[in-house]
Amino acid sequence: MRKFRHRESDATFELNLAPMLDIIVSIVPMLLLSVVFVRIAVVETPVPQAVQKAMEQAENKNEVQIQLSVSKETGFKIQIMQKGQTKDINVALKQDKELDLDSLHKQMITLKQQYPDVFKMELHPSEEVSLEKIVAVMDKVRNRSKDDPALYFTDSESGKKVETDLIFPDVVFGNVAGG
Amino acid sequence: MRKRGGMKKYVERRLPSTFKIQITSMVDMFVILLVFLLKSYSTSPVNIPPSDKLTLPVSTALKDPVDVLKVIVSKDGIFVDEKEILKFNAKGEVEVTDLDANDTNFIRALYTELDHQAEKSKSIAKVNETVEFDGKVLMQADRAVPYALLRKVMYTSMLAGYSDVKIAVMMAE
Repeated sequence: MRKFRHRESDATFELNLAPMLDIIVSIVPMLLLSVVFVRIAVVETPVPQAVQKAMEQAENKNEVQIQLSVSKETGFKIQIMQKGQTKDINVALKQDKELDLDSLHKQMITLKQQYPDVFKMELHPSEEVSLEKIVAVMDKVRNRSKDDPALYFTDSESGKKVETDLIFPDVVFGNVAGG
Repeated sequence: MRKRGGMKKYVERRLPSTFKIQITSMVDMFVILLVFLLKSYSTSPVNIPPSDKLTLPVSTALKDPVDVLKVIVSKDGIFVDEKEILKFNAKGEVEVTDLDANDTNFIRALYTELDHQAEKSKSIAKVNETVEFDGKVLMQADRAVPYALLRKVMYTSMLAGYSDVKIAVMMAE
């Protein structure tokens, strides 16, 4: 009996957690200072310079140019310019007078399937459109979602078809300087 | 023997003794807190204090922010690197007197500050080869700001040499 009691007292011991607690207490304030509850990202929207724009237009006269106009009153208007010809596609507002972003996204997927090698799009928002709506439009124009059909473009070097998740990732504001 | 053992216990009980605090549960709590804080630790160059005057739009964009000149367009006014450049009127618009008479998209005070910043960057770039003036500007604008105002800010910054505008957004969960 005595022997058993002796072994039991040897087996239990207490960890000295005080130094560990000291370390944690000094790390926690440091981390609290650098904690970020809102993660920030950036959307690239280079402003086309007048000269650069003119040069690009001169170079790419035969290439397809896509313009997207956004208005709170009339909805979206997509203009496709190719070889001097212009084709218009309108996406009307929803019944509650809000911008129909889902229809725009579907239209963009269709356009990408027609013009797989175009990645640039000019955005022409009207003056009353808020930044929140502009960013939402850019999101719909930039990437395809999981439910959308696969998109392919032709790699200029290998000539092979490459799958992509990007629709029109290169969005620039076309009406900053004028128009 | 039994008697002596009993005496020993009695004496131990009567003596002023040290006691141990049970800190195991406290350490458990701190470890959980530490893991949470480590998860949300960020070394992002852009830090935006929460304010009702500046709520960024939410986006699916994933590109990390870069440490460049910051132009803040809040509901109150325009700031360049936290220095107030101009205040908006009660309607939240730029006063006509702050705009150029011949060009209504040109905000004079903003141009002066941006031009000053560009000159400063260019003069640093002359001395230090690792620094290069690339015309990048990070625009932190409130989500309710209309394009009319954004356009003025972008147009003015473009004229000051900052044509590579990046819009700061909140990452969607």
